[in-house]
Amino acid sequence: MVNPIYILTLSLAAGFLLTLIDKSGRKLSLTVFYGILSLNVFIIGEWFYRLTFLNTPTVIINTAGFSAPLSINLQLGMQEAFVLLFANLTALLSAVYLFKKFKETHISGLILYLIMIVGVNGLVMTRDLFNMFVFSEILSISTYALITLTETKKSLSAGFKYMIAGGIASTFFLLGVTFIYYFTGNLNLDFIHLGNFSNLGFISIFLLAIAVFIELKPFPANGWALDVYEAVDSGIVSVIAVVNSAAIFFVFYKIMPILPQNFLNVFGIAGVITFFFSNLMGLKQKNAKRLLGYSSIGQIGLLVASLIFTMHLPRSLMYLIVGGFFFNHLIAKAGLFWITGIVKKENLKDWNVLKNNKPLLVLFGILLFALAGFPPFAGFWAKWEFVKMLVHGKMFFVVGTILLGSLFEVIFLFRWFTLSIKGDEKTEHKNISLELSKMFPTTIFAGITILISVLIMKFFYDFNWLHALPVLAVLIINVIDFLPSKIKGILSLAAVLTYGYLIYPLESNIQLFFGIIFIIGSAINIIGTLNRKGKSEGFYGLLLMMIFSFGNLLVAITYLEFFLSWEFMTISSFLLILRGKKAQKASMLYLIFSTAGAYLMMVGFSLAPDLVSNSVLILSISNVSLPIAATILLSIGFMIKSGSLGVHIWLPEAHAEAESDVSPFISAILLKAGVFGLLMVGISYIKHTPSFDIFYWIGWIGVLTAIVGAFLASFQEDAKRLLAYSSMSQVGYIVASIAILSHLGWLSAMYLSFNHMMFKSALFIAIAGVYYRTHTRTMYEMGGLIKKMPLSFISVLIMIIAVSGVPPLSGFGAKWLIYSSFIEKGWYLQAGVLFFASGVSFLYLYRIIHTIFLGQLKYEHQNVKEAPIWFIIPQYIFIIGIMAISMFPNLIIQPLNSIAMRYFNSSIIIDGYTISSSLGYWNGNLVMYVTMGVFVVPLIFLMLFNGRMQKVKQFNIVYAAERPESPQTTHVAHNMYAHYRKALGGWGKPRIWDFWHEVSEWSHSLADSIRQLYTGNGQTYILHIIMYVIVIYFISGV
Amino acid sequence: MIFSLILGFLLLIIGLYGMLTQKNLIKIVIGFSIVDTGTHIIIVSIGYLSGKTAPILDSTVDLANAAKQVVDPIPSALVLTAIVIGLAVTALMLSFVIKLYQKNKSLSIDDYQELKW
Repeated sequence: MVNPIYILTLSLAAGFLLTLIDKSGRKLSLTVFYGILSLNVFIIGEWFYRLTFLNTPTVIINTAGFSAPLSINLQLGMQEAFVLLFANLTALLSAVYLFKKFKETHISGLILYLIMIVGVNGLVMTRDLFNMFVFSEILSISTYALITLTETKKSLSAGFKYMIAGGIASTFFLLGVTFIYYFTGNLNLDFIHLGNFSNLGFISIFLLAIAVFIELKPFPANGWALDVYEAVDSGIVSVIAVVNSAAIFFVFYKIMPILPQNFLNVFGIAGVITFFFSNLMGLKQKNAKRLLGYSSIGQIGLLVASLIFTMHLPRSLMYLIVGGFFFNHLIAKAGLFWITGIVKKENLKDWNVLKNNKPLLVLFGILLFALAGFPPFAGFWAKWEFVKMLVHGKMFFVVGTILLGSLFEVIFLFRWFTLSIKGDEKTEHKNISLELSKMFPTTIFAGITILISVLIMKFFYDFNWLHALPVLAVLIINVIDFLPSKIKGILSLAAVLTYGYLIYPLESNIQLFFGIIFIIGSAINIIGTLNRKGKSEGFYGLLLMMIFSFGNLLVAITYLEFFLSWEFMTISSFLLILRGKKAQKASMLYLIFSTAGAYLMMVGFSLAPDLVSNSVLILSISNVSLPIAATILLSIGFMIKSGSLGVHIWLPEAHAEAESDVSPFISAILLKAGVFGLLMVGISYIKHTPSFDIFYWIGWIGVLTAIVGAFLASFQEDAKRLLAYSSMSQVGYIVASIAILSHLGWLSAMYLSFNHMMFKSALFIAIAGVYYRTHTRTMYEMGGLIKKMPLSFISVLIMIIAVSGVPPLSGFGAKWLIYSSFIEKGWYLQAGVLFFASGVSFLYLYRIIHTIFLGQLKYEHQNVKEAPIWFIIPQYIFIIGIMAISMFPNLIIQPLNSIAMRYFNSSIIIDGYTISSSLGYWNGNLVMYVTMGVFVVPLIFLMLFNGRMQKVKQFNIVYAAERPESPQTTHVAHNMYAHYRKALGGWGKPRIWDFWHEVSEWSHSLADSIRQLYTGNGQTYILHIIMYVIVIYFISGV
Repeated sequence: MIFSLILGFLLLIIGLYGMLTQKNLIKIVIGFSIVDTGTHIIIVSIGYLSGKTAPILDSTVDLANAAKQVVDPIPSALVLTAIVIGLAVTALMLSFVIKLYQKNKSLSIDDYQELKW
């Protein structure tokens, strides 16, 4: 083991010697340079290992033969070693990244780099305040000088602003140190205690603390930092944003013990404010590096806040939170800054060059997801625990601010991501050159990000391996991505069924029921994807990730496991939606709403009392009495996912723009995850009904969703949007029935869920087939396809009968159950509205079958064939399912009855095929025979006596000597229900859409007006700093 | 001591005022230099105790009561380091100014604000 002082002396000595060494060639000096940097990493790595795993005591190094406080002492404990290892590793990798630059530049570049590392290492280890000042100046001066590695007007002017801002900050630091010495007679941190200070003395601590804090770039005194991030070479910026920030952050950590609590509180809040505002301002940012700058500043604010607010927590938890944020942010940020240097595009819109560059895109994706705090990356766990801790401490305002800030961050990061994948800006598509020296560090950091996630999942939480399965699926499919898509499809089908078998011994029927929807439903839908040609790279990985996450929701035991699977589900479905051709906006909308919902759920789960049993969550939740706030937040979270009115606007976009074989998953299955969640909240709610009847209002929302969805569906020209709104409407029924909180209500909710899964899958697959053949989703451009696609027609016909709720199919049973349950509950008005909504749903159902399959065949569809077999198979499986439960309702009513009986007393009697409620009875079997009879008799009559039918062909129609420009639009199929829309009058306006649009506009203009603060003038920045110091001085009440 | 302390703070404020009001880059650097000098004077004045002798342990100082007879040497030691660092920073700033001038032929800080928002 090497004395840690060598990491200072070696670099320093090498720094001086490099001028000489360079005389014998750059090769040698580069060897020495990289050798020293690697040696540093090695020495510190060894120390980190010893201190962490071998419990070696903290090392104190005294200098000049005296012990502190007479001499300066350095300290190397576990925390120091952690920060140093990270900083030195980043510095080494950054140096590798800058390899080309270092090969060409003047030798002073290398020397400065080494000296900078000396500054960082010294700053972290020293315990002496004045020594800290010296090291921080060494660090700053070498950094300023390194900025000139690229001499552009921008980088130089940014560097100048940086220097004067840094100069002011270090003046404060120096004054603070001096006065601390004046008041305590000491410069060593270990010998300075809060008690030593008089009231006047606090000013000295204040000066010291604020100087360090300003170096951490608090809003709004941070304009200089943004300019540096934007203008300086990517390799150097990653050092400034990561290595330097880490060191200064650690300095703040070191001086924290001498800061009084009221200072710390102010700094903590200032950190939260910084996080919020920098992410808000990031919304308007179009320059990639400046965007990262905003994110960087915000994350450092969050880091400081997390450090201050978690001081009192147990060590391991504090390490997870602060360490998680630290690692996650800095690694991701370094990697992303490096990538900006590889891509070399400033404007976010030009980043679509990444589209054709898979390795870089993958790295970019990993780092971006990590930065945004999505699982399985460290930021996710840190955020979860941090929010939980803040909620327990009742710091709701802080939680709200942080989560809103995070949402902004997700928005701008993923706008960037989606633009990179789907952006349609026309730029010269020069291939990006992937230099090894630049790709290597980026890859290493992406690898470390993943490694950390594995470590946290394995060692901190010790998850069941099932919960890692979604991620593993992506990885495995990526390995076999060279295979044709059919093979991967079949493998995926097998994997899903195996997964179902694995989790099969489920604890309860309700899990089994949703398991059938999630797993079996998905498996059948996978058949539809077998129609894919080519390789469909990445598709099956994401699909499996989503399906496994559905399944994991069922077997989750803790809140965290549930939430983890929920987030995996969100990520995978977002990426699946993004695969659609024009899905950039749609996927963003989906992600924004989902993330907002997830944050609400995160707070909701944090508010929930601890679980008492080890059963799966859906069972153990019944023993938990959720507070009202938790119930509301969780319900909103789940209702966002199920597309309830008010937060539904993502739904039509996402369903319509997703690839046509993905839509059935999104619509028929994903929405049920929201239903499952809402049932879960309900289970806790019925056992511990609070005074305020939340579910009454949820019921109304469900009812209104049903009717609004039905109307909106009727006015669509696009078949998939029509089906999407129909899903919204149907799930509205389900939500409303759950809200009844009665046996019959839940029975009908689950019955309808099952039914909806089948008919909506089949309808979406049918439309997928039609789209596949006709290449259009606009319904009035089709027509008469009944001749060409009879199998699809039959399937759609049966399914719309099932949706509409006319006898004899299962939809009738669903409607009967729903109305019975509403009337039984006494919700007459709601029942009336739902009844009306059912009427409206006939409009869109008629529209879809009429405009696509009936009427005249369009000329361009003369040669259309029946949908491919892969689309037909799943449809007919679902038809069999629908037929079976229509004929023999007991197949499903019986098990659902027993599930609902777990929570309520049964209110129905099942006798043979007859189901009786207090209001009457329904015999599905009998209804089927009667209806068939009623249908067959007129059919025979027509066939016998209607032989003189004349078929109207396309050319039988006369246009009265005029030929319209686009004849389709003159047809009734176009704008079919215009008169109804007129009748709705003011009710037909897209108010909710407008509302969210306004919200977005307002936040963007707010962001734009706030960022005007950063005028670009160096003097303004100094003024900001001075005013900031004064304001904080008065707030902290020194 | 009080006098020099006040002088130090006065210089510091004058320097800051200069940095905030002067448009010329060189004058801003001079302002910074004045701030620096002010800081140095403050540091020195803290260690100074009137009527005490230099902190050299020779025949004039009674070893037993040395601490009461000499001025505090540490601020003087600190200020030396601070002066050196200040010098380096000022030099570097001036070289930035030279580079900026070479590139853009302007010394006004108003000409360097295209990086903003």
